[in-house]
Parts: sequence; structure tokens; C-alpha cells
Amino acid sequence: MIPPSLETIDYREQSPEVKDRFNRLKERPVVLSVENLGKTFPTTDGTVTALKGVDFEVFRREFMCVIGPSGCGKSTLIRILAGLETESSGQVLLDGNPVAGPGPDRGMVFQSYTLFPWLTVKQNVMFGPKMAGRSGASVEGEARQWIDMVGLSQFENSFPHQLSGGMKQRVAIARALANQPRILLMDEPFGALDAQTRAQMQNYLLQIWRNLDITILFITHDLDEAVFLADRILVLKANPGEVDEIIEVPVPRPRRLDQTITPEFIATKHRINQLIHPDDEGGNDTLPFARMTAEGDDVE
Amino acid sequence: MAFFRRGKDGGREPWFAVRRDLSTKRASILSLASFALPLAIWAGVSYLPFVWHPDIRLELSADREDVTTVYIAGDRVSKEFFPTFTDAVRKQNASVEDQLKTDAPLGGATESSIRRSNKKILRHLAPVLIANKRIDESQTKDDEIIYQAWKDIARGTWRPDSPALTEENLSIIQRNWRAMETVSDTYDSDNFISVPLISLIPQGKSANPDYLPSPDQVAKSGIKVFTAPAEGDRPSMMQRVGHSIRIVFGGFLLAAIIGVPIGVLCGTYSVFSKLVEPFTDFFRYMPAPTFSTLLVAIFLANDAPKIALVFVGTFFQLVLVVSNTTRRLELPLLEAAQTLGANQWQLITKVVIPGILPNLYNDLRILLGWAWTWLVIAELIGVKSGLTEFIETQGRFRNFDMVYPVIILIGLIGFFTDQILALLRGIIFPYTEEGAAASANPFIKALLFVPRWFKDAVDQRLPHDFSEKSSTPSQA
Repeated sequence: MIPPSLETIDYREQSPEVKDRFNRLKERPVVLSVENLGKTFPTTDGTVTALKGVDFEVFRREFMCVIGPSGCGKSTLIRILAGLETESSGQVLLDGNPVAGPGPDRGMVFQSYTLFPWLTVKQNVMFGPKMAGRSGASVEGEARQWIDMVGLSQFENSFPHQLSGGMKQRVAIARALANQPRILLMDEPFGALDAQTRAQMQNYLLQIWRNLDITILFITHDLDEAVFLADRILVLKANPGEVDEIIEVPVPRPRRLDQTITPEFIATKHRINQLIHPDDEGGNDTLPFARMTAEGDDVE
Repeated sequence: MAFFRRGKDGGREPWFAVRRDLSTKRASILSLASFALPLAIWAGVSYLPFVWHPDIRLELSADREDVTTVYIAGDRVSKEFFPTFTDAVRKQNASVEDQLKTDAPLGGATESSIRRSNKKILRHLAPVLIANKRIDESQTKDDEIIYQAWKDIARGTWRPDSPALTEENLSIIQRNWRAMETVSDTYDSDNFISVPLISLIPQGKSANPDYLPSPDQVAKSGIKVFTAPAEGDRPSMMQRVGHSIRIVFGGFLLAAIIGVPIGVLCGTYSVFSKLVEPFTDFFRYMPAPTFSTLLVAIFLANDAPKIALVFVGTFFQLVLVVSNTTRRLELPLLEAAQTLGANQWQLITKVVIPGILPNLYNDLRILLGWAWTWLVIAELIGVKSGLTEFIETQGRFRNFDMVYPVIILIGLIGFFTDQILALLRGIIFPYTEEGAAASANPFIKALLFVPRWFKDAVDQRLPHDFSEKSSTPSQA
């Protein structure tokens, strides 16, 4: 439960700088536009609607997070955006052009480690450009730059199995960026990492994002992660997956870890929590079983 | 508890820890023991007469009247039967002695027939003479030398010792010699004893059945078998080995060349999987040997039907195994490659194939083992050939001491091929966990030196990026 003193703050109240930032953000060109997107899966018990009427836009250089309860179709959404699944209705426009199938214009970082184990770090990063038919010293030089950017120059000739989880995901980011995609799609990329590494990775990601002309759509189930990273947060609800609300995060940039305890940060988190767990009255869910220890101990 | 007591070799690790690796020292000791133990059991059964030895191996035999089965020295008879055999000969001797005491000592037989059987009795000593190196194998019917040996033994001037003769047989020799010397002191075919002699009593040593020769017998025969040169249309053992390897590898490589691409396609695209796999699945349940006559009819003689049999036995398994391995490649890798812009062809050549290669390598290693198991049947169809022909022929003559070395050889070839391939896997695929383990192994480090040196040498001499330079060959 949030302290009573913080409840007075509305997550919709934005400081002038933040308001100004959002005004400028919305004037930028739209990179990704999702229009009335729907997805149904046939199952043995009839069709299941995973997504229904999803509508949103992502502006250039925006960092957007997608959050929602489990089963809300957030993974399906990002897989459709990546072209790994076909939509059942609606369409996805990248720079105004409808997308069909996967392509190097939309880079993707997965939750599972997807580095090619038979390639070194450098060869992994060079994979995309090589698929595009490029080769030679320029590709190698670029790859070195990307590796340098994620701080792994010493490891450019290492194989993935020699890297830690966090390092693998940094290489995966470098590999996706090496294609210079219009948008970087990230599907819970830090989900498998421990808490310290994850915080570090979030920090790295914000640095990369700030220094590049890159738009990011980031899926997570972690409220802190979403609020810490995003300009706007798309909250999905489950059964069927529909857009619940698009929240403009009132926390100013650049983000620092100590902002995670500011009133606007907590108010935003609180709001998302309300949206995702509407029935949860302040974490008071109780389990149905009876007390099994002796009365009078000092646990409570 | 004794089972969980700590080991002595400085280690605090218990020997019986569930699914825990043993120290290298312990592991090596046990690996050695896994070979030493069966060998020790074999040696024990062979050399300790009290362990098994259900038979008597005859050193000396005899004919019995009215019996069609003739045992010669070197044959084995069961321990139960042996006393019956010796008693029958003793009884026969007794009746000869009885007959000699009567008024008609010849019992109605003609002198020439008695001479003939007397000669036979003398020749029964030949195997003992050979074993004692008094005569060689070509002299078993040299009556003059054998006659002399009887004389020497009876007079005590020569005494065979390996094998030695039983007291009973020594007295029989002396008894016969007393009768023989009255006729002639040396062998004379015109003046040969025509009074019936008595037979030597069969003697022998306890032995295992002929299908279990001792390790030293197998080793000796092995050396003989493997060093024998080619003779006429009998190939040398090395030629046979070469022939067998050609059949195994011929069938296997053919299956791999055709089967791997099909398997990869099946594992990648459901279209191929559904089109190919159901029938393949059905076909592999038809045992390859059942096609042998068919294959001979189609491919006629020589090696073609044999290679075809190994192919049939391997191919269908291979397709299924490879498609399964391909399917096991993590889907996210393929998806990642697609989001990085790989097209269908690149997906297969740059992701699927390199991705499955370490596992494919293992599959092929196991399937090569399969191919070996078809070898024996393959070599029996059509014109028998290779190692199996040798095993068949020698086995028919019950020369099992010659069969074992060849069986062991086939095992060794298969085993070492597999071990070498397993070792190479770590070297070829340095990015796998085995690869990491392999590069830490000092023995492999030493082995790796040569290919690494070679690779470095090549790298220095060749342009760094092949694809770039190959477009401008004139530069070279």
C-alpha cells in the first residue's frame, strides 16, 4: 500500500518540463502505427481471441513499454509487429507502409538467449549485415563499434557460451541495432536476469537509446521496469487483449535510480497496478487455509 | 555406512555419490577396470581348471570296436563320457589278453588284419610325439620313427614329459614292446608283429569347450591370422578389413549424402515432414536383411548388393533422426535470424545447418555404429566376402580361436572410430560445452596444436575475407 501522503498525487499531473516533452514527442513523425489489430487462435474449444481492436502509435525516438496481466497477449502483439505471426484483422504500418513478415527494419531482442552459439560475438553482430549481402572491412568495423557501444570489446572473439546472461543480451541488442532498424522490439529481454543485472541493463539501455536515433517498443511484466524506462506505457487487459490505457509517465528524464521513490513514480506504478489487478484491494488476497502453528508466537 | 565411506586418495568425495562426477584419477582407474575385469574373468575361466572346464581334451585317443564315432587327439569329450570311453578301451584290452590265453589267440582274424590294427595302435602315440616335438606333423604315418619311439619309451631311454604318459600307458607300451621286440628290433614292414597288441588308454586334460579358447590361444591364432599373406583368391586379413570398411562406409556415406538433406528439409518444413516421414517411419520397420535376396537380384554379385543393404539399414533411420535433430534446434534462433533479415535459403544454410551440426555429427556417429551392425549380414549375401566370410568358414571348422580375433577386431575398429570421432567433436565444435572441456584437456591441447598451427598458417597466407576477395580473383 502506498503511504497516504502520496495518494494526493495524480499520475496525470505533469510538471511543465514533462508536459513540454510530451508535446514535442507527439509532434514527431509516427514510426509505428497499429490499427484495429486483432488476433484469434483456433483451439479445440473454439477460437480464442488474443487481441482485439488494438490501436496505438509510436513516435520517432519514443520509448514505449507494453505491460499487462499474464495472458493479455502482449507477446502475441510484439510477435505480430515483428512479423513472426500474422494478424487476424487490422494492420501494422511502419513509416506508413504495411508490414508483412519479418524484416531487418524491425529489430527484435527476445527473452531467451538467441545468439548463434557457433558464431563469435563479432560474427553474431555481423550476421544481419551479412544477410543483407554486405561484407568486408566496413561491416567488421561497424560491428566493432556496436560491440564497443555495449561495452564488450574485450569479448568480440568470444563464443556466446563464454558470456554471462547480461552480456548475451547486450550482444543481442548490438546485433539487432547493427541492422539499423526503424524500431527495436524487445520482448521481456531482461526477464531471465537477476535483479542487479537487470537494473544495470535498464541503465545501459537508456544510455543507448538516448545516444541513438532509435524507437523502442519494450514488453515487460515488471511495473518498476516499465515506469523507469518508458515515455508512455501501453497497458493491456486480458480476455480479450485490449488497450486499457496509455499512460504518459510523469517522471522527468534523464532517469536515475533514485527517481524510483519519487511521488510521481509511485503514483504511476500505483495506477498501473490498479489497472492490472483491479480486484486486489491493496495486496490483501488471502489464502484459504487455517492457521497451523500455536497461537501466541511472535511472528505478527 | 561402508558404501558412503570417504575415498582414500586424498579426496573427501564419497565413491557412491548419486550422479556426481568422480575425480579424473578414479574415473581412469574404473575405465581401465571395465576392460580389465572381463579379461580377468576370461583368463580365470580359461586357466583355472576348477572354474569350469566341463570337457576333457584328448592328448591320446584310441579306437573302440563297434563304434562309428572316432575321437582323435585334440578332440574334446565331456567329463561324464570320458570314463565310459577309457573303460571301453580297457575292456577291449582285457578281451585281447583273454583271447591270447586261449588256444586260438588270433580269434579267427587274419594275420594281415591284425598287422593293420597293430600299426594303428602304434600310430595312436603320434600326437604325444608331436606335442613333445619328437616328430613333426608330416610324420604321423612314418612307422619307422614311431616304432623307434615305442622302443625308446619302453626301454626308458626317452620319456615324453609334455604331456607325460600315464603309468598305465607306460606299462602298456612296455607290454607291447616285449611282444614287438621278439619279432623285430626295428620297424620292418615285411616282418611286423602279427599277434594282437593292446591299445593305449585315452588320456587327456580337463578343458573348456572349443567355443571358449583361452586368451593366449586367441592371441597366438590372432597373430597367425593377421600376419598370413594373401594366397591365391584368399585375401590377407588386412585386405578383408579394407573390404569390410569399404562396404560399411560406402553404404553409410551414401545414406548420409542422400539422407541428411532430406532430414534437414523435413525438420525445417512441415510440408516435407508430412510428405516423407510417415512412409519412412513405416519402411524402417521392415528389417533390412529381409531385402537381401531382392538386393542381390537387383544389384547382382560383388559389393553393390552389400552396400545397398547397409544403405537400406541406415538410410531410413538416418532421415528420421536427422529431421528430429533439426526440429530440436531452438525456434527462437530461427526467429531471431528472420528478424535479422535472413531469407529462406540463408535460414537453412546460415542457421539451420550450422545450428544442428554438433548434434548432426553425433547422430552420424551413432548411425555409423548402426551401419557396422549391418556389416555381417551384408557380407553374407551374394558372394560371401570380407571379415564375415573368414568368420563363417573358420567357424564351420570349429576353429573358434581364429574367429575370436576377427570378432574382436571388428569391435575395436568400431570402438576406436567412435572414440576418435567423439574426441574430434570437441575440436571441430569449440563453441560447445564438450569443446570447452576438450580445449582444457592437455592431451587434446597437444593434438590441437597441429590443426591450430595449420589454420594460423593458412590464415596468414589467405586473404582474410574469402567472399570479398573471391569476387576479384585477379588480385591473387
